Amino acid sequence: MTDTPLDPVIHAQARLRVVAALSTLGSGDQIAFPRLQEILGMTAGNLSVHLRKLEDAGYVEITKTHRGRTPVTLVALTHRGRAAFEQYTASVRALLQPPDIKEKT
Amino acid sequence: MSESFVDNEQPPGDPAEALRMIEEQRAAAVRQIYVDDRWWFWPWGFAWSVGFGLIFLRFGPGGQVFVDLPDWLPTAVLVALILAAGVISGLTGARAYGHIAGESAKRGAYYGWAWMITFTAMTVILVRISDRLPADLQIVVWSATMVGLTGALHLAGGAIWLNRQLFLLGAWISVVNVAGVLAGPGWQALIMCVAGGGGMLVFGLVASRWHRRGRRHD
Repeated sequence: MTDTPLDPVIHAQARLRVVAALSTLGSGDQIAFPRLQEILGMTAGNLSVHLRKLEDAGYVEITKTHRGRTPVTLVALTHRGRAAFEQYTASVRALLQPPDIKEKT
Repeated sequence: MSESFVDNEQPPGDPAEALRMIEEQRAAAVRQIYVDDRWWFWPWGFAWSVGFGLIFLRFGPGGQVFVDLPDWLPTAVLVALILAAGVISGLTGARAYGHIAGESAKRGAYYGWAWMITFTAMTVILVRISDRLPADLQIVVWSATMVGLTGALHLAGGAIWLNRQLFLLGAWISVVNVAGVLAGPGWQALIMCVAGGGGMLVFGLVASRWHRRGRRHD
């Protein structure tokens, strides 16, 4: 087991929730900003702040485009972001494991 | 929604809480993003069960009439219910993919078009030849062609989404369809009503349960 510290970008409640929600999308899929906001129950401003931090870390890709004449902001987890999330989840599980194993044996 | 930015920067209390947050958030996202599978399968299952059920009652095996309905009624009901199911599938697709862009949305859209194009094409072909067929074979040929196409598209859907259940449903529909044709007029309608429509209803229930437990198709 590695003792690497938990990824500080994801190890914050709001961003962990953002990444967890995005991880349910298929790879190669993007979700519209308002829909993501609805799923997370965050304010637009708050979500933007956290998305920017995730984007700076290269975990999230934000695409601004148009659907007809309406501007649309699309959000997706990058490969790097997905890997970081999986690593984070694995680390958290590993931290929980030792007592669990003791219980079983 | 009064959330403070400071709170949001807080790390989860402990690993157990972090894991719980991940699981809860993923479950919530899956619940909101993915539509219940029953919306895909129940309208079709209902249409087949009721429509073919009425056909069986009016045009039973060996020309038997179990319920003396007007000639036109059973097929009219079947076609109307199938059109309604098509509309519901279109709306479900819009709901499922309306806020998602990228590969899944494209797959969904192409798949939807595949249904529209192939069914329209088959309808044109059958309308063209249907009058030359003996009366008892008309229902058999129409049903077998459309059901066969449905089976093929479900098989293709299974391949597109690497979804074993969907593929098996396609295989089931294809087998049931051939069984119906071999059984002949009258029996075909009964088989389609029970095994085809019923199979679709059962499949919708199973797929929906399976999905709600938070597992993806693959």
